[in-house]
Parts: sequence; C-alpha cells; structure tokens
Amino acid sequence: MIVCVAVVGHQNNPLYIQSFTDADDALKLHHIVHCSLDVVDERVNNPKKSGPTLNETFLGLLYPTENYKVYGYLTNTKVKFILVTTDLDVKDADVRNFFRRFHAGYVDAISNPFHEPGKKITSKTFAEKVSTIVKSFGFSSTG
Amino acid sequence: MKQSQSSEKKRERERERERMGREVSESCVDSLLTEMVSMYCNRLYANKPELAASRIDAIGYQVGHQLSERYTMERPRFTDHLDAIKFICKDFWSELFKKQIDNLKTNHRGTFVLQDNRFRWLSRMSLDPSAENGDVSQENSEASAENKAAQVPNMHLHFSCGVIKGALHNLGIACAVSADTSHLPACSFVVRIKP
Amino acid sequence: MEEYPEEMRSPPVSLVSVVGCSELHSFISTHLHSLDPPINTLALPDLSKVSLLLPPPKPNPADFSAAAAPPPAGILKRDWLLKHRTKVPAVVAALISSDRVSGDPAQWLELCSEIDNLKGLIRGRSIKLVVVVVNSHSTEEISEDQMVAVRKRAEVDAKYLLTFYTGEDSQLKQSLHRLGTVFAELAGMYYRDEGRRIKLRIERKSSGPTDLNIRYSFKVAVYAEFRRDWVEALRFYEDAYHMLREVIPGVSTRLSAIQRLVEIKTVAEQLHFKISTLLLHGGKIMEAVIWFRQHNASYRKLKGSPEAIFLHWEWMSRQFLVFAELLETSSAAIQSISHLTAGTADRPLTEWEFQPAHYYQLAAHYLKEKRSSLDFAVSMSEGDIDYSAESVAPSSHMGQFARLIEQGDAFVMQPLTDEEYMRYAISEGKRFQDSFEIIALLKKSCESYTNLKVRRMASFCGFQMAREYYAAGDFNNAKLLFDDIASLYRQEGWVTLLWEVLGYLREGSRKHSKVKEFIEYSFEMAALPISADTGIQSFRFEESGPAGPATLQQRETIHKEVFGLVSEKLGLASTENGDDVKVSSTNPLHLEIDLVSPLRLVLLASVAFHEQIIKPGSSTLVTLSLLSQLPLNFEIDQLEVQFNQSHCNFVIMDAQKPLVASSTDGQSGHRRETAPSLRLSTNKWLRLTYDIKSDQSGKLECISIIAKMGPHFTICCRAESPASMDDLPLWKFEDRVVTYPTKDPALAFFGQRAIQVEEPDPEVDLTLGASGPALIGESFIVPVTVTSKGHEVNSGELKINLVDVRGGGLFSPRDAELSADSHHVELLGISGSEGEDESQLDTDEIKKIQKSFGLVSVPNLKSGDSWSCKLEIKWYRPKPVMLYVSLGYSPDNNGSNTQKVNVHKSLQIEGKNAISISHRLMLPFRRYPLLLSRTKSVPDSDQSVSMPLNETSVLIVSATNCSEVPLQLLSLSIERDNDDTERSCSLHGGEDLLNPALLVPGEKFKKVYTVTSEMNSSKLILGNVCLRWRRNSGTREQAGSAAPVMTNHKLPDVNLESSPLVVSLECPPYAILGDPFTYFVKIQNQTELLQEAKIFLADAQSFVISGSHSDTVYILPKSEHIISYKLVPLSSGEQQLPRFTLTAVRYSTGFQPSIAASTIFVFPSQPHFKMVAVGDDRKESVVAE
Repeated sequence: MIVCVAVVGHQNNPLYIQSFTDADDALKLHHIVHCSLDVVDERVNNPKKSGPTLNETFLGLLYPTENYKVYGYLTNTKVKFILVTTDLDVKDADVRNFFRRFHAGYVDAISNPFHEPGKKITSKTFAEKVSTIVKSFGFSSTG
Repeated sequence: MKQSQSSEKKRERERERERMGREVSESCVDSLLTEMVSMYCNRLYANKPELAASRIDAIGYQVGHQLSERYTMERPRFTDHLDAIKFICKDFWSELFKKQIDNLKTNHRGTFVLQDNRFRWLSRMSLDPSAENGDVSQENSEASAENKAAQVPNMHLHFSCGVIKGALHNLGIACAVSADTSHLPACSFVVRIKP
Repeated sequence: MEEYPEEMRSPPVSLVSVVGCSELHSFISTHLHSLDPPINTLALPDLSKVSLLLPPPKPNPADFSAAAAPPPAGILKRDWLLKHRTKVPAVVAALISSDRVSGDPAQWLELCSEIDNLKGLIRGRSIKLVVVVVNSHSTEEISEDQMVAVRKRAEVDAKYLLTFYTGEDSQLKQSLHRLGTVFAELAGMYYRDEGRRIKLRIERKSSGPTDLNIRYSFKVAVYAEFRRDWVEALRFYEDAYHMLREVIPGVSTRLSAIQRLVEIKTVAEQLHFKISTLLLHGGKIMEAVIWFRQHNASYRKLKGSPEAIFLHWEWMSRQFLVFAELLETSSAAIQSISHLTAGTADRPLTEWEFQPAHYYQLAAHYLKEKRSSLDFAVSMSEGDIDYSAESVAPSSHMGQFARLIEQGDAFVMQPLTDEEYMRYAISEGKRFQDSFEIIALLKKSCESYTNLKVRRMASFCGFQMAREYYAAGDFNNAKLLFDDIASLYRQEGWVTLLWEVLGYLREGSRKHSKVKEFIEYSFEMAALPISADTGIQSFRFEESGPAGPATLQQRETIHKEVFGLVSEKLGLASTENGDDVKVSSTNPLHLEIDLVSPLRLVLLASVAFHEQIIKPGSSTLVTLSLLSQLPLNFEIDQLEVQFNQSHCNFVIMDAQKPLVASSTDGQSGHRRETAPSLRLSTNKWLRLTYDIKSDQSGKLECISIIAKMGPHFTICCRAESPASMDDLPLWKFEDRVVTYPTKDPALAFFGQRAIQVEEPDPEVDLTLGASGPALIGESFIVPVTVTSKGHEVNSGELKINLVDVRGGGLFSPRDAELSADSHHVELLGISGSEGEDESQLDTDEIKKIQKSFGLVSVPNLKSGDSWSCKLEIKWYRPKPVMLYVSLGYSPDNNGSNTQKVNVHKSLQIEGKNAISISHRLMLPFRRYPLLLSRTKSVPDSDQSVSMPLNETSVLIVSATNCSEVPLQLLSLSIERDNDDTERSCSLHGGEDLLNPALLVPGEKFKKVYTVTSEMNSSKLILGNVCLRWRRNSGTREQAGSAAPVMTNHKLPDVNLESSPLVVSLECPPYAILGDPFTYFVKIQNQTELLQEAKIFLADAQSFVISGSHSDTVYILPKSEHIISYKLVPLSSGEQQLPRFTLTAVRYSTGFQPSIAASTIFVFPSQPHFKMVAVGDDRKESVVAE
C-alpha cells in the first residue's frame, strides 16, 4: 500500500505531500520523504556506473526504512517525486508505471495557467488524480 | 512486449500531437501575440518600454516553463547544457513550430546561437514600418510612433525569448536570451548561460 | 559488540600445551605466539602434574544411542568455546631433559611412568602427543638407542620426537622453528580430526534433535576456524543458523516459550555475528549487508509474547549496533561504496546500507522501542517486589538463565519459570539508562552522516537526539540541535517539520522562562504558512510533540498567547520555577528583524521613495509598507521611522487612539504624523505615504522601522527596498495572492529606500573673460571673476585645471623628465585682482600652482560683492586646451559642518602661432655661377642650399602675421648662434626699425641682407632670426604693459662651393622699342682647365637677334669669354629675352638663367627719369615686391 507521495521542488521544498494512512504517522512520513532527498542528491551527483540507465528519470529504491520502502523519480526539470510504500515485495515495473502516470498528472497540474511555477500544488483535480493512481497501484502491472 | 509498449507509446504521442494540432489555431496564436504586445506597449505601460518588455518576457517565461515540463516527460535527464540546448532546437521547436531550429552555433563557453530561417511568429507580420505607423499613430504622436514601430518586432520577440528562457530555466540552466532580427524573416536567438 | 565474550569476538587460535622444562616455556610460548597463524601455549612446569591440565574424560553423551538420549538442555554450552580455546590443547608436548633420558635407570623409570600417565590421559581423545628431548649441552649427543627407547615408550612417530638444543642461539632458533612447524601441523590435524568426528555425528543424527545438530554444526565451524578454514566455518555457521531458524515455529507451544525464544535469539545472534565477521573479514561487504538484511527480515517479526517484547527490541537494537560496529571497523566498507551500490537486480542495495550511520540510527530506533515497551512492562509489574531476581544467573547454556540455589557449599542451578524470568528481566532492564545510550547512538549516526555531507539524515538524527535531550530535561543541548535543524527546514521550506521543531523550542523557552526566545519562537510559529487546506491535514502525531497539531487554529491560539503576553495581560507560566515572567517596565522586550531573520514573516517593512533625486529643502513622498503573515489582525500602537539623517525621523500614531505615552514625543522633538489606522491584517500591505524633506545633501536612507505594540514591547524592522526585496521565506512556495508593497507597480519594481539629496544651487557667478586664441610665446591672460548673487562666499576656493582637449596630456612624461620647459602649455601664475597687495597674494592666497593645476583661495565675499583674478597661461606649442575653473564655497558662515557648493566653468582656448618667419637666399642679379651640386642634386631637396664661394648673395627674411590680431614688430635682427662659433660670413642689411611696425593679420614684413662668405670654408652658418613683437592693443599704456615676445627662427646652414664657370648676362636696364641694344653673355672660367661649353640661344618673339644661335666655345683657364648679341625689341612692355642655355661639356651639365632674371622692360619710346632719394626708393620697391 502506498502510504505517502510527494512532489519536491528545485530547492528541495515540498510542493505536494499527501499521506494515505489512517495511522497518525504523517510527521514521520514527512521526515522519511525529507531524508530521502539525500539519497536523490547522492544518486544524481554520483551516478552508478552499473546502473540500469544513466540519467533515467526513475531512480529506483532510495532507501529501506524498517517499515517502508522509499522510491524516487527525478524529472528533467529537477522536480522530485517520492513514493513511500509499506509493501515489502514491490515490482519495479509497478513503481515505474506509477511514476509515469503521476508525472503526467503533475504536468497537467502545473500546466494550469493560474499555477505559478515553483509554488505548491493546490489543485483539487490533481489531488483526485493522485488518489486514483495511488489506489490502482499494483493492480495494473501489465501497463 | 517491449516492442508493443514502445509502439503503443509512439501512437499515443502521435495522437497527442494531433490533438494539440487541432486545439490551437496558428492564426489565433498570432493574433494573441500581437494583441498582447500592443496591450502592454500601448496601453498598460505606454511610457515604460522596459517594463512592458519585462512583463511580456515574464509571460513567455511561464509558457516556456510549463511547456518544457510537458515535452521532457519520459526522456532521460540531460547530462549537460548542450543536451538541453539540443532538446530546445529539436523536440521543443518541433512541438511549437513543427520544424527544427535550422542552425545552432556555439562558442563552447556558454553562448549558443539558435537560428530559425523562417521564424513562424514573425512570418505573418508586416515588416514595413510605414504600415505600422498608421496603426500606432492613432494614440501617439508621430515621432514616438516611429520609434515604437522600430520596437515592435523586438517586443514580439520578448515573448519568444521568454519562452526559451523559461524552458531552459526549468531544465536548470540559468541564462539570458536575446533575439536578433537583422536578417528577417530569419531570426536568431542568442542564449548566454550564466556561469 | 563489547558485551560479547572475548572468545566470540576474535577468531580462535590453536592451543598447545607444553609440559616440563619450565625454563624454556617463555621462549616457546613467545615464539609460538609470533607465528602466523599464532599458536597459544598452555604451559605446565612439571610432567607429573599433567592431570591438572587434562581432567579425566567424562563419559561422552555421544556414546549413548541417539534414541535413548534425553533431549539436550540447551543449544550451545556457554563455556564450550572458551574451554577449547583455553583449556583443551590440540597438542601436548612433553619436554624431557636429556639428563633424564641418559641418566640412571631410576630416572628413566620415573620418566617412563610419567609418559605412561600422559598417554593414559590423552587416550580417548585425539590430542596429539609430541615428545621433545631438551639437550642443554650441545656437546653430548643422546644416543640413537636412547631416542628409540623414548619413542617406543611414548608411542610417537619418529617425526614427533624432537631434540631441542638450547646451547647456542642459532640452535635454539632452529629448534624453536622445528617445534613450531610440528605444532602447527599437529594442531591442524587435531582440529581436522575433531571436526570430522563431529561431522560424522551430524550425519548420523540427521533425524535427531535439531538442537544437537545446531550444536554440532557450530562445533564443526569452530574447528574449521581453528584451522583457519573460513569457507567451511562460514558454511557450518550458516547451516547452524538455518537449522536454528527451523526451530522457531515450535517455540510458542513450549512451556517456557519466552526463555526458549531468548535462547534461540541469543544463539542466532552469535551465529550471525560469526557469519558477519567472517564475511566482512573476507571483504565481502555486499554479502554481509545482504546477510544482515535477511537476518533482520527473518527475526524482526519474531516479537514473542507481548510482555517480553522489550527483550525483542533490545535484541534488535543490539543486532544493528553490532553490525554498525562491525562495518565501521572493517575499513574497506567506507572506501569503496560507490561502485558497490548495484546490489542484486530485484533487491538493489541502497547507499546508506553500507554506512554504519544507518545501523546506528536504527539501533537507536529499536532501543527507543525497547524503552517504551519496558516502561510499559515496568508499570505493569509495579508493586510486586521480588527479591528472588537477585539470585538469577546465566546458566550453563548460552541464552539460558537459572536460579542459583545455595546448597551447602555447592550451588545448584534451578530452571526458571517464564514469570520468574520476566521479573528478572524487568529488574535488569530497569538498571540501565536507555536515553543516554540512545543519544550516544544517534550522535554517532549524526556525526557519521554529517561527515558524509548527508544533511537531511543527519538532521533527522539530530532531531531525534534533541528530542531525547528535551525529554531528559537538558534543554541547552536540545536547543543547540533544534536551532540547527530548524535552519535547514526553514531553508528548504518543510513547514510541518519546522513547526514541530519550533514547538519544542517554544515549550523549552517557556519552561526556562526565556521570554524573548519564547516570543520569537511563538511569533515564527504563528506566522508559518500552515492553513487547513494546504493538503497537510491536521493529524495527531504518533509521538506527539509539544507543538500541537499544525493547524490554522493552533496558529491563532499561539498568536493570541503572544499578544496576551505582549500586552501584559498574561504572564509566561513557567513550569520551571513557578512564577510568571512578564513583559513589563522592568523587563521590556525589543526584537530585531533583519533581512535574514525568520521573523520577516511576522513583520516586513518595505520603504520606497517616490523619487530618486531631490533638491535640498524640497519635499518628496515616501511610502512605508508593512506586511505580516500572522494569522489574526493586530494593531501597532506607534511606528517610528528612522533615517540615516536623524532629523528626518518621524513617528506615526494611530489617529483613533489616544496618545500612548507622552514621554516618547517629549524626548525627541521629532515630527509626529498620524495614520487612520495602524491595523495589520494577514498578507495585506499596510501602506502609509508621507512627505519627507531634507536640507542636507547626500544620501538619505531609511534604516529601520520600529513598531511599538503594547507599552513595553517593540519590534525593530530593517527597512527594505521594494526593488531588491527577497521573497518571503516559506511563503514564497505558497499559492497565495502576491501583492505589491506599493500601489504603483513601477515603484514596486524600482523603488528604493534611499534617495540622493542634491547640493543646493549655487548663487554665485563665475566668469572666465578670455577672448580669442592665445598666441604662442605670450603670457595669455584669462581674467576670472567671482560675483556673488545672493550667497555669501565663505572659505571659497578656486581650482584651476588645464586639460588637453585631445586627451593626450599637456606634455609627454618622457619630456618632463628631460627638461622643465617641455610643457606645451603652462599655467604661469595667478595674479590677484588689481589694487590688491601682490606680495600677500603670493604668500597666502596662491596655495599651489603647478604646471597645469592651480588652487587659489577666494576671500570672503558678501552678497553682491565680486572678486577677480587673472590667470597667466603660456603656450609653447600650438595646442587647444580646456581650462576648467571650479569654485567651491560654503554659503553659511557658521563653522565647518556646512556644505560646500560648487560652481564649475570651463573654456576651450586655442593656442596659435603668431608669426611665421621664412627666408630666401638668392644669387646676384644676372650672374649664374655653375654650381655642380645644384645641378646634379635632386631639385626638391632644398635643405642643403648651396652658395657659390666668393660671391655676394642676397638673403631675404620675411615675417608673416598669421594670427587674427594686429601685431607690433619691435625689431628684427639676425643674431649669431648661442654657441660662440664665429660667423663665417658678413651680413649686411638695413638698420633696425626705429618705430614699431604694425603688422595687420596676414601682412608680411621683409628684410633683405647681402651675404658674403668670408672664409674659405665649405659651410656657411647664418645664425638666428630674432623677432621681437607684441600684441597691438591700441592704447599706449597697455602696449607698454604687455611684455614683448621674442620669436626665434633658425636659419639653415648653407653649403659653399666654388663654381667652375660663371655666366653673367649683361644688358641695359631697359630697352626702347625698335632701338637695338647689345646683349653680352660673359662666361668666366674659374678653373685651371680648358672648358668647352656649348651655348644655345633660343629665338624670342619680341626680338630680332643677330649672332649665332648655337655654338661651341672654348674658354681658356682663368679667362673670360664674351659673346655678344645685338637685339632689336619688336614690342613694348615686359619682354622675355631670348633664352640662353649653356652646357658645360666637361661636367656634362648645363644651365639656364631663371626667367625672372632674363626679362627686360621695353619702353615704347625714350623715357625721362627724374632721380630722387635713392634710399627711400629702394625700400619702397623692396616692400612692394
């Protein structure tokens, strides 16, 4: 189950962060997302030589915490997407697919002419879209 | 599996392009551009051309910023400045103008010159200053109208420069963009990357 | 890791025992220990005491049949490893002195019995025996027979009967070496045998109790380790580990499930530790990490029964801690991480999994879990005090505990029930202060992350650490950390995280009665961009911090609390010492908000002048704009605006409010303004516009704005220019309405908080009364007049500057070094106004005069007065020059602080040549010496003028007035050169002019000299023309005052040469029409040679000629040849005589007389002349020419 998704901007500031748990661990998830940015930096600055594809937007598993797995995605425009899930057995393809759809949703959201670049995303449509994508996570691994 | 996926993607992209093609009429864009420039130059900031220019530039900036986000989807991240500039010249330009930049020059020290031999947003503009004159002089005195007429193509280009600047900024490249229209209808954009 | 027994932590080392000959023991043990791999030595002084070393073997449980054996009491025996490392030798070496071997039979018998005894002890075990005969005297050899006897007795292979020589060093060394080799070989054999033996058991008992199989696998692995067979050791440890994992499912059904699980975990921990150590030791970091990950995964969920869960967390914490320490000690881990991060394809390893910091952090995390569950367990068991826990001790099996019951002298182990065990475990747990441990772990992690420049992880660790400090009441340490972390969150805009941190800081400040900090943190929290609809919903925190939920409501609560405190309605309820701390007259509070302060959110002041430059005394508008992000509206009682020019400061009061305090305006007589309202609403600019004026020129800058809220609380806010204002931190990411600080967008873009106040307009005239171009050589006078027109001139100063118009400077620096007068233009002096004392002027008022710069002080002038002086400038070269004159003065007479007013004037002055002098050298009339140089040389090079020797030439000097003013010529003369070379010729001219000649512009003055060379030299030095002149200013007095100017003109030197032939043409001065006359051509040969000359006379239209047209004549040396022609003029007027051409054959050169010289005037009839004064006539004619 996806417990948290986040969009993080150029200055590592949160643009959108949404948790999907009933438990009261939103703060913890904020910490996890924030800490995961270190790994993103590390990956981007010291790219793995044997990595799957150099400069791929999908960054893969960023780090395992005890109860969560954190995945990352870095767009060409240096916007980071972070996914926190409690699933222990996650297929990479699922995560890639998730990020692809999430990215599309994000692009639609920021293409709103009333959205100012670099500001938080407050679009309700985006929030709905994200929750749809989150709900369907793992079921559409064929895509 | 993979093949079908990629062909699927291609088809999707084509469909999207078609949709875009139908959505925006070119003459609409031209009219909008003209109207925007005249609004800022003649009504809002009639006496402050630099302010008008900066406003038009800012609008272009946002457009470029948002478009670049869309057009860089599903492509690997750029490794260096040249990659990003090439993207602007090829894919980005194709999406906007259905053609690529005709000529790209660089001094290898952060300056790039992008030349479009027939820049679409200028191709339907009358370049005869006297024709412009009659248009503008309704509101302004004869002398300043002439002066304005000379500025008009440049004012239009502030928008295009803003688009390029916005796109590059969004790709993490801080730069200044200026335009050169000395060889109309060809138009060169000079991108100076800030160190 | 430190809590593990030593035998677990280090790889086992083979153990051998040496018995007898105690004097050699230290040698042997040192040598064996230094071997690679080392061998430990167990030494026994006497062979007879060997039974102490090896107690008689107990009946081996393995001897029973498997089915009949009772289930083992535990998995691993606690002391087994230690026993094998320290007590059970692999090899026993009996050291026998050679004396005893070769001694008397009684000794031999004693020896035999000792050896037998030893053999008996070893029997049944696979311990190897070595017999060493120690020969201390190298001289006497032990006989072969004796050796064989010993070998037979001891039943050892010949290889293992050694002779040990102690006599010499080299022998000793050799013996030691041999001993070491044999020991190593035998020890290896022993451990291999043992291993094999146990392995057999495993195979036999594959269906037996798993506990035993685990134990056997462990033993095999240990034996392999003894042999340094790491691969096999690893394999068997892993086997044991996996077998152990299989035991777990059955645990919960057992009677003492808690203790059983504890035992299993303890064993697993040991096995895991061994495996990790071996992997890391072998450099297989990635495998170790993966192994750890699996270990963690398989045991993490194994929490056991709820009351004992703290034991699980403790165990988990220890796993992480130990692995962290292992990683840290294996230095290879840190070096080469980057290329290791690949991991397996489906389960990639991430960066931090190679960092000890990661494990330290998680160790701390689990320790925290342990603490909270222990706290819970303690609270549950509160009340039942059980002293029986004291007698509990670890039992003989690893991970088991038992009660020691004293029975007489002996202790008996009695197994514990789970309840008893729990009581013991809780009482043990209470003994430790976990928070120190947690802080220590987090600190390690934090430092390690910081070293890796992983800031956010480090901050997270720091945050947890600070929370521990906070909980422990160590607020100072907590504050340091929190402040540091808060700055990162502020910078990156993580508002919720910042909110949490600030909550701790705020509560901490409250507890410690730090009012200022409390208010600062409260303000910041209240102004954070948190609202209900930001997508960050209100949540109840898992570990609820003191901040409370991050909601708008909470912000409002905080806002109200702060304003209650500030308005002195509330006090700060400090929990620390009970009494309220208030903001009051004895405890006023002042906050500073600068450009980087986080409190900019609370109050932001933007100040923009509406103009960029103003005149002194004239007023302009200034707009102050204040913005606050506090959630509720609030009012400011009074605003004070401060400028760098303090007299401009003013105070703004709320018009609706009565005066707050009369004291404030009493102390500073500042201007008071009122505003309709000083109420600030969230994210809305409060714009106030006021007049401002300054009399003082220079920069007028708004420094700060001080807002007074409540009687004793002020906020000083640094003024910011709208043009250069940074975005509000944190809020810049919010999707809010952005408004401009001023209504006018241009002002919002370009407005500045500083303005330039110009200096006042001068009311003094400065005139430069010069006219016309200056003439080179004269002292050109420029009158300067200062006329006061309203201002008094006090301490005035006149600066004069001469600047080359073309920018080239007035002189080249190289010239300046050479001579002083190389200046092209020079400021000679400044003379005061007429009638003033000249001497005084010289000493006092002319402060400084340089060649191109002058400084004169101007006397104090009253309004309406004027003062003038004259500048004297001299030109040496024709050059246009810019003259800059500036007057600086102060209009007021009161001291030095008043401002200077400056007036500038400039004038371009052209420097021109007044007179140009030229000269001409002419040959005598109608007399043509043949000058070879003149005919041969190129005609245009006129600098080498030649003159015939012994002839009289004519020199004409002419001076032209090329200026635009009439000039007076005072004299013209030719002077000899300065150096006293004798003049080589005589010059004769008319005497000096008596009256100065007036020369109008363009007019030319000529003077004629005759030149006769006197000496027989080849060069004639003519000298200089000296011309004295002055401007003709009309009136006589002025003419006298202006000094005459001397202009020199150097005449070029003239070459002299003797001419071989001289041609003279002779004809009458005039002719009469129709009247024939004779035209003589005289050719004079001045050489000693015969000259042949071709002559040719051209026809002329106006004359009829008689005589030969062309001829060749021969002229004898030093003689003259005369050719005469008869001419009859045919027309009147100025007529050209027939051209005569002579070609000197010897020099193959010819010449023609000039056209001017060969004309004659033909009168129509005989004229009648009247002869008058000859002198006048000549002069007139000369001038007219």
